[in-house]
Amino acid sequence: MTPEVMQPPPHSKRVQAWVYAIMNPIIESLQREVFFLDKGNITWQGDTRRCEYIQPIREYFQYSQRPNYDDFVADPLNLGFREKFEEHDRGLSAVESSAAEFADGLMHSEPFQKQVKDSLEQYQSTTRTNGQYPYLDSTAGSLPRAVAALLVNQIDVLPHHYGTHEFWEMFKNEFEPYHERPTFQAVKEAAAALKDISSKVLLDLENHRQSLCRTYDIPAAPIPTDKSRSTDASNV
Amino acid sequence: MPPTFETEHRRNLLILDTGPIRELVLFQAVHRYGFEGLRPNLQCIFDRDSYIRCTKFIRSFHKKTTSASVVAELNYWIRETDRTGHEKLWHRVYEEFREMGMDEQVVKLLEMDIKLVAWLGPMDVSLLEIARRNGNLSPLVLTVDRDLRDECGRAGFRAQLLKDLALTEQDRGAE
Repeated sequence: MTPEVMQPPPHSKRVQAWVYAIMNPIIESLQREVFFLDKGNITWQGDTRRCEYIQPIREYFQYSQRPNYDDFVADPLNLGFREKFEEHDRGLSAVESSAAEFADGLMHSEPFQKQVKDSLEQYQSTTRTNGQYPYLDSTAGSLPRAVAALLVNQIDVLPHHYGTHEFWEMFKNEFEPYHERPTFQAVKEAAAALKDISSKVLLDLENHRQSLCRTYDIPAAPIPTDKSRSTDASNV
Repeated sequence: MPPTFETEHRRNLLILDTGPIRELVLFQAVHRYGFEGLRPNLQCIFDRDSYIRCTKFIRSFHKKTTSASVVAELNYWIRETDRTGHEKLWHRVYEEFREMGMDEQVVKLLEMDIKLVAWLGPMDVSLLEIARRNGNLSPLVLTVDRDLRDECGRAGFRAQLLKDLALTEQDRGAE
């Protein structure tokens, strides 16, 4: 039996809660996801083994809004979004596990470890003669993991004031062949699939938001109240 | 390889005020991480060329340090932004500190001149005190605050406004 559809009234606070507390933050986050995925940067972090800026849908809105999320996905007016969000989260899971597999492969690879060590030695000998560059002695132990993350996220340039900026400028091309590994191709494929899913969910959410706003005559974002005016008025 | 003029004269210690750290975090958040909503908060670094000029300047110092009070002020700033982005902004602050190799120093209130604290506030005075403690490292204070810049000058320390670093020669001519 299909659930009974209760039409919310115009200016419905329930619909406003869906739009402001759930749809708007998810739309903004999905726009950012597509921005990153367009550049091939999945924002994967070696320490957490997760993508920092691409997250499961439920992490894109405040925890206190969870009841409004549950209401949104349960209401027949928003049919299909629960499944779309689940598909997104499965896509993200595939990206994160493929990224971890690629990075783990590098960390267990003797040639990779040796290349990082040799590159660091070469860099250190340059810094000793040319004091222009920062020393990386303190980061030597974590450098293989940092290089693995730079490769996973396809980072081309680091900011000039970062300690590893010059190191990466000097050696990034020499690490490029690791992108030919089948495990990295799997990361790229998973990221491309996620980008397709995210783009589609984003478009569907934007269209649905517009439809809800028109149907229930609500603005697409809350209108700021002029507190100074009300304060002035209360002082009169 | 013989030492170059730049390596011989490479500056020793940069002391960062809250404003420049906030600006670096904001620029990265907007341009690298796509937080467009934060763009109106940028005050000094508006384009990539300015960012590169500022970051190259910062890189030219062997050591970077700040005051624990600056971290507290960063907290006040982040608390005023949208709650859902707090952790992400802190991630950016952590990244800046980690990647810059930033040191952090504590200056106790009772070690500060009370008249200066009343005039500039304890945070600015803590930066002046850090400069005084590290006078042998020819410190330079990087700030967005003209009052602090002027007070550094009066105390005999070098200070630089971030805005002046961000400007091109052409911009300076037009000012």
